[in-house]
Amino acid sequence: MHNILNPYAVIKTKVVQVITETPTIKTLCLRPEIPFSFKTGQFIELTVPGIGEAPFTPSSDPARHDEIEVTIMRVGRVTEKIHQLKKNDAVGIRGPFGSGYPLELFKGNEVVVVGGGCGFAPVRSLMYSLFAISSELKKLVFRGGCKNPHEFLYKQELIGWTKQKGLDVRLTVDKVEKKGDWNYDVGLVTTILDDLKVDKSKAFAIICGPPIMMKFCTKKFLELKFKEKNLYLSMEKNMSCGIGKCGHCRIGRYYACKDGPVFRYDTIKNNEDIWE
Amino acid sequence: MYYLPEQNLHIVLGNLQESYNVYIPEKKNNTLYYTLFSSKHNSYSIDEVRACEPLKAFFFKAREKVAENYKPAASHMNTKPLCIVGAKACDLKGFKVQDYVFLTDEFSDPFYRSMREENLIISADCSTALDTCFCMALGLKPYPEKDYDLNLSMLEKGCLVEIGSEKGETVVKNNKALFQEVTQAHKQQKIKIRDRVQKHVQLNIKNHKIPKESSLKNRIKKNYKGAFWKPEAETCVECGACNTICPTCHCFLLYDQGDAKKMARLRVWDSCMIKDFARVAGGANPRPELWMRLRNRFEKKFDFFPEVLGINACTGCGRCITACPAKIDIRKVLGRLTGNA
Repeated sequence: MHNILNPYAVIKTKVVQVITETPTIKTLCLRPEIPFSFKTGQFIELTVPGIGEAPFTPSSDPARHDEIEVTIMRVGRVTEKIHQLKKNDAVGIRGPFGSGYPLELFKGNEVVVVGGGCGFAPVRSLMYSLFAISSELKKLVFRGGCKNPHEFLYKQELIGWTKQKGLDVRLTVDKVEKKGDWNYDVGLVTTILDDLKVDKSKAFAIICGPPIMMKFCTKKFLELKFKEKNLYLSMEKNMSCGIGKCGHCRIGRYYACKDGPVFRYDTIKNNEDIWE
Repeated sequence: MYYLPEQNLHIVLGNLQESYNVYIPEKKNNTLYYTLFSSKHNSYSIDEVRACEPLKAFFFKAREKVAENYKPAASHMNTKPLCIVGAKACDLKGFKVQDYVFLTDEFSDPFYRSMREENLIISADCSTALDTCFCMALGLKPYPEKDYDLNLSMLEKGCLVEIGSEKGETVVKNNKALFQEVTQAHKQQKIKIRDRVQKHVQLNIKNHKIPKESSLKNRIKKNYKGAFWKPEAETCVECGACNTICPTCHCFLLYDQGDAKKMARLRVWDSCMIKDFARVAGGANPRPELWMRLRNRFEKKFDFFPEVLGINACTGCGRCITACPAKIDIRKVLGRLTGNA
């Protein structure tokens, strides 16, 4: 027998806390057996022993190496099992995979971050990383949207950001059912992009959310005269192996797992099915 | 180059068994299949054409355990390395694609790597062609020109042996007494056979109106709409036979078994023709229609690989033509893509 590093093997990881965020979303705080680090925007594969694995972008601060958090919506076979996990359960993780956000490139520039729905998870990790370099950013703008106040992920934390000095934040929901539930904007997230006080020919925009939201936000940013090469999108594809071999997450000449999942819009715009 | 009489070749193969598991093509019901060589063997067919099964099956197995519990390393059974005898030029091209996928960049696949690094490839010229052979339309000759350790050109009562690597040279050195000098007659015999097979493949290409490789560039982008692909996919039954039989198809599924106490991760061949292949857990599917998946198969072979590797991921082996129960014929699809049919 000889041993070699195995990209399919998992690191044993303990669930140290389970936070119920919304009726369909939970955050797991995970403590891997060995130190684990990632760059914001990279993703991990989370294994429920014997059930299978699924890809998630951590929602926690990459500066922390002892614990990582993943925020997970219950949508399928594996996430259903993940939602049943309890404190002290053991899971496996692999990774990190992908290229992450180009933080160095953002330094000295105006940066607009737009999150929507479950897309707040990767975006929260990105925002922590941007807060850490905020003195090097020309400007940081955050725009967040969700269907309703009820399902607004990290609601209290994001509302907290609206009061943060030097940070331009607006939050919106598509619909409010009861008056008094929501004291911020109402309407699609594209409606709170009109007032951006940035130099549109130079500013960067990062969009993460459901495909339909990313599609219309991209359209909006292009109308606002943002440059195609300054738009960064998080593509949700069926990333499985994480290392560009299993073939499931191909976008044109790229694999979302290896070359993404964060892509510069101009590099993928010619592929017909990017919004599916 | 050396000449190796038939009985001596048998001895060499026998000697190789000491260090390798030697696999050799054998005919069953008029079709060639790989089988483990033993000295008692006398019915193998090293020349003829490629075997039924793609050689990837030896290195990237149809089903393989790739991880266990929380073990960090890849463990391998300490079996003898593989020696594949009678691999054809098209099989060697298949390796090019598989090697690119599994061996390049920072994450190479430890299972594939250990098998490939230790193997011995003894290729052989084709001595005939099937009606479905069209390797020459894809830049190949029906005899290996490179990427082998040894290549055999089977003649009437023996074979010519070409050395392609140091590993191959060692085999010759270790069996030096068995190898003989090449005569002019041997060389002429080899050329005669090679010419005959090339003519056969060229006739296939002409009869089936198979387009030239150079005309394939950007053809899928130009014929991207359903109007082209819907009729092509009309008879497809989504069985995935084209994927499993293809020497260049490499997609796989990671599949977990067991429970919290004992778990195993299996890697099994997957098929991009199956509906859920690219579907995400939330339900979104970039290729919900069968015709989109057929188009994707062609895109991968004739757009993606030319772009990332510089070669079309088709070897012209014709296996998918024979395997398809719906009679989808890659030659005809390529013909229609280029306006040749």
